[in-house]
Amino acid sequence: MAAGPTAAGDLHGLLALGILIAAATAVAAVGRRIGIPTVPLYVLGGVFVGPHVAGAVGLPSIAPAEVLTLAEVGVVLLLFFLGLEFSLDRLIAARRKLSAAAAVDLFVNFPVGVAVGLLFGLGPLGAFLVGGIVYISSSAVITKSLVDLGWIADPEAEPVLGTLVAEDLVIAVYLALAVALVAGGSPVDALPRIAVALGFLIALAVAAQVLAPRLAPYLGTSDEDLVVRTLAVALVISGLALSVGASEAVAGFFVGVGIGATPLHDRVADRIAPLRDAFAVVFFAWVGLNTDPVAVAGVAVPVVVAAALSGPAKVLSGGIGGQIYGLSRRRSLRTGLALVPRGEFSLIIAALAATSPNPTIARVIPAFAVGYVLVMAFAGTLAMSEASRIERWAGVADE
Amino acid sequence: MTVYESDLPGVGKKHEIELHGDERLVVVTHNTGKREVYRRADADSDAEKLFELSDGLARTVGTVLEGAYFQPVATENIETVLGGDALIEWYEVPDHSELAGETIEAADVRQRTGVSIIAVEHGDEVTPNPDPGAGVGAGDTVVVIGSREEVDAFHAMFIDVGDGGDDAGGTDAGGDDGDGTVLD
Repeated sequence: MAAGPTAAGDLHGLLALGILIAAATAVAAVGRRIGIPTVPLYVLGGVFVGPHVAGAVGLPSIAPAEVLTLAEVGVVLLLFFLGLEFSLDRLIAARRKLSAAAAVDLFVNFPVGVAVGLLFGLGPLGAFLVGGIVYISSSAVITKSLVDLGWIADPEAEPVLGTLVAEDLVIAVYLALAVALVAGGSPVDALPRIAVALGFLIALAVAAQVLAPRLAPYLGTSDEDLVVRTLAVALVISGLALSVGASEAVAGFFVGVGIGATPLHDRVADRIAPLRDAFAVVFFAWVGLNTDPVAVAGVAVPVVVAAALSGPAKVLSGGIGGQIYGLSRRRSLRTGLALVPRGEFSLIIAALAATSPNPTIARVIPAFAVGYVLVMAFAGTLAMSEASRIERWAGVADE
Repeated sequence: MTVYESDLPGVGKKHEIELHGDERLVVVTHNTGKREVYRRADADSDAEKLFELSDGLARTVGTVLEGAYFQPVATENIETVLGGDALIEWYEVPDHSELAGETIEAADVRQRTGVSIIAVEHGDEVTPNPDPGAGVGAGDTVVVIGSREEVDAFHAMFIDVGDGGDDAGGTDAGGDDGDGTVLD
């Protein structure tokens, strides 16, 4: 007979998963009342039932390894959905405006993160990771806020969502590199690994364009077949990616791109969304399980410095992006404000950093990312809901 | 009038319809099918949400706005309206109908109800314009023509016999569930 959890023991299996999800949703429900987006709150829920909090005070806790696989499914599905909504045609159609706005976004925000990383002595790899964490805005938080606030019908929706699409492409390339670099060794040692991983992803990208439209009919006509087969394809391919040292997340992205280009797009989006929602919560809470609040407190200074620099940097880069789209000054400011929140992708980078053989990177970067995402998701949502006040303060309000 | 369409990646599509002057109607169609309808008073004002519709409701409202709303109430009877008051209707003759096993003449269909039987279908065999001496059996299908009142009278007298033997598929109107218990 399996023994029940002892006072200071680990929770296993179903109970561990159930408690993890329950804790995550409970914290999110409380936070929603005060207007904080759910992504960082799911993380917080995981922190509470993880070994660093529940375990530390002698309560039964959940070991991160217990839900690792489900968390990985969450990452794959998050990126799968980005791929699904990502359209190469759309990117090409809007390339002139979009590439200018996207370039400003990248070249303003990424260096801010790199500078913070270097300033706090995290070394080149640490700075590269912090750059990514600071650069990438949260599609989930921003899209939800746009819809909730009704900005979705305003002109700023286009540069905001367009920038998010461009960021997705950049992050796919970035993650591909980061996986190879984090695995250790000098960049020169990592070269063969980078080559194999990039080769795999390029092959996958080509397959997504060429093969997916032909294979799509085999994904099934019934909803049941469609869900199960799509999931099988996504997991097999992302699993293979992991085994050649490529990013499973990026593989998931390209599977999504492939299916997104077929007529199955709408049905797949509709049927897989609930799965993504469930597994993404497990992923966010899993990040929490790995997070030691003491370590987060330990990086409070870098987090505050990064927030103070990167918030205004996004407002600036987004504002320039809005100008490139020909928006008024007020709408441009809103574009910038909307792009401030950070979230799920910063956490994916954190999860990647946690696998580093370098103990400093494995410990400090995830703690930094969790603290930073908590602060920025809150600050970003606040920036959007207080937009009219900020506009008056900036002198661009027209009423 | 110009309609602008744009993609909202991850959300759906947006259509902006020019109204008067700078005013625009903005329709956001979510990937889930939900429609949100906004109004923007002028180029720089914020969108003001008017209402939200589910996919099905949006389509219905759309056809109403288009002036093309037409959805006949489904009847259980197969009937063809000829214009004026005349209609043609098909009935399967139930076992206990007075018509079953009789000739059209003997049942006195025309005198009693006003309808004319214009065809009788017996198995695969169809007799168009049957003569008054033609026999009708239970399970045959008769095609009748008449005014709505006359057709209703025929239905009441020969088809809706309400004795439990009514197996005339689909010809029963409303409350009669086949064993004569009509609720009123």
